[in-house]
Amino acid sequence: MGEKAVPYLLVLPVVLYYGAFWLRPVIVSVMGGFTDASGHFTLQNFVMVFNEENFMPAVRNTAVIVVFSVTLEFLGALALALLINRKFVGSGFFLFLSMIPMALPAAAAGAMWVTGLTAHGWINSLLYYLGFLAEGKKIYWLAGSQASLLALLIVIDAWQVIPSVMIILLAGLQNIPEETKEAGYVFGGNYLTVLRKITLPMLKPTIQTAVILRLISAIQIWLIVVLLLGFSRLPVLVERVVFYTKEVRGLDISYQMASGYTIIVSLIVSLVALAYLQVSGAFKRDKEQTV
Amino acid sequence: MTKKKHINIYKAAKRTTFYIFVTGVIIAMLLPLYFIVSLSFLSTREAYRYPLPLLPALNTKFELAHGERGYLLSVYDRVAGEYQSVLDTADLEKMSVYMKSQLGTIPITIEEIEQQIAKLETQEVVHFTRRRNLLYNYQVFFRVAGTGQAIPALLRSLEIAAMTILISLSIGGMAGYAFARYMFKGRDALKFSVLFVRMFPGVSIALPMVIILANMGFYDEPIGLSLVYSVGSIALTVWITASIFMGIPVSLEEAAQVFGATKLQTFFRITLPLALPGLAACAMYAFLGAWNETVAAIILTVFKPTFSVIVYQTVLGAVGQVNLAAAGGMAMALPAIIFTFFLRRYINQMWGGMTV
Repeated sequence: MGEKAVPYLLVLPVVLYYGAFWLRPVIVSVMGGFTDASGHFTLQNFVMVFNEENFMPAVRNTAVIVVFSVTLEFLGALALALLINRKFVGSGFFLFLSMIPMALPAAAAGAMWVTGLTAHGWINSLLYYLGFLAEGKKIYWLAGSQASLLALLIVIDAWQVIPSVMIILLAGLQNIPEETKEAGYVFGGNYLTVLRKITLPMLKPTIQTAVILRLISAIQIWLIVVLLLGFSRLPVLVERVVFYTKEVRGLDISYQMASGYTIIVSLIVSLVALAYLQVSGAFKRDKEQTV
Repeated sequence: MTKKKHINIYKAAKRTTFYIFVTGVIIAMLLPLYFIVSLSFLSTREAYRYPLPLLPALNTKFELAHGERGYLLSVYDRVAGEYQSVLDTADLEKMSVYMKSQLGTIPITIEEIEQQIAKLETQEVVHFTRRRNLLYNYQVFFRVAGTGQAIPALLRSLEIAAMTILISLSIGGMAGYAFARYMFKGRDALKFSVLFVRMFPGVSIALPMVIILANMGFYDEPIGLSLVYSVGSIALTVWITASIFMGIPVSLEEAAQVFGATKLQTFFRITLPLALPGLAACAMYAFLGAWNETVAAIILTVFKPTFSVIVYQTVLGAVGQVNLAAAGGMAMALPAIIFTFFLRRYINQMWGGMTV
């Protein structure tokens, strides 16, 4: 008995902790999604969410941000990692600099982009000094169409995320033994074949880690959206949850809307994450490893 | 001979291109940061000039002349490249305050202004230069933001971060060790459930937590927030520590036990010291998570806000004070960046061993 119980005892605190401070609030919140103001079971909350004029735009905007930003960030980070994958003078310091955008607090990053994107902000000033903007001309970044605002958000997100994804991929690349790649070249492969047949397959577990973490947090984007544009201007899913919990609190309907949105967001995140893990074969690999 | 030279030139060109590329990447990463740092040192007047000055000024040049209502104060405008009149008043106190608050010069007494004015008897205009107080925006931010709550909030945030590190390292580290060393039923399910925890939006947990924490007496208390933040950081800690402990050879532990050490002794004498770098990285993630978090802090605090809440409010209400928002943002970013700097090696090591 003694020895067998050790792992369970070691894991027990986490299980208890999650029971008390994660599962309990989650249950309360899920139940909130299925009850009306007087505490009876209802599906009315979801009907209300689906009928809200901002629901479809929120789904669409979130989907656009997730698809484009995760793709852009992954490809950008992979390209950078492949180009930089070598020891060079100052590489340690370079990696530290790459960690800064990730370590930057959301409120500080918000301050940075808010002051940059106003018409008299530093981005226009920089473009003026570089000669891209004629004197007296300004670009009104935050007054553009929905599409241009989405593009702006994707670029801002990419700035913050690409360096950290690059670090993850670099670490993975450095774990691939040089000999395996050399073997590929010896057998007549060129750079692209070696990349496709050896480097990328060996990097797959790292890629999965990076992409799954990005997917989960990209779907939950909201703070930068609100700091730049305020509520309801460019609705995204989690922004709706915050909007109904924080901005219009106190109404019965706002609690129901927030709970409804919460359940929808969690469902989407779980489905996307599971689908990705399934498609990319992470489940299968994990079984192989443990056997 | 010529061939060798050829190769050297080729190599040098390749290396130069590489360094130019890396420099380009660094510039792209740091340019936005440069501007917010620079903005946080600009005077209020210059922060609203367009285009923004690229560098904060160390000195401000003044010109004083007789005006219609008293004395006409002009200030050298770096963007326009000329003196521009800013104030026409006989009230020297007002002039002194204006120079300090709008232009960020080091405080100038009324007597000093009088001395300059005295020179006007012999000459048309007087020119003089004052050094600037570069930290003025930061001083104002800490005095004004959140109606004087900024410094207590800063200390509170540090306290919350420290407690979060303690909770998540002790609880998460234990589970991580179990994952690395033992095969047990439900191991896989648990490992993935640690990931699932991150899939439920943090906002949605914060709201029910209001009642749960209130029942425990922890609502609007630092410990309450640490309990909430630990949920996220425990998940990551389990994941990271599992990979760290896997990287420490079991043979080392077995060797210690051969020499008569108990399991507990082995853990504290052999395994833990070897795992310290990785644990430091976990501590850093826990710190950053707690230090940076804003949403739960907004919902779960009333009279005891965290530093991130104060900065968030300053940024949202920054319409009149971009340089203050910049100073607040930087005051918040600095501890995060310093922490990252000290633990940079460990983060790098850690990512190497971490996979889904």
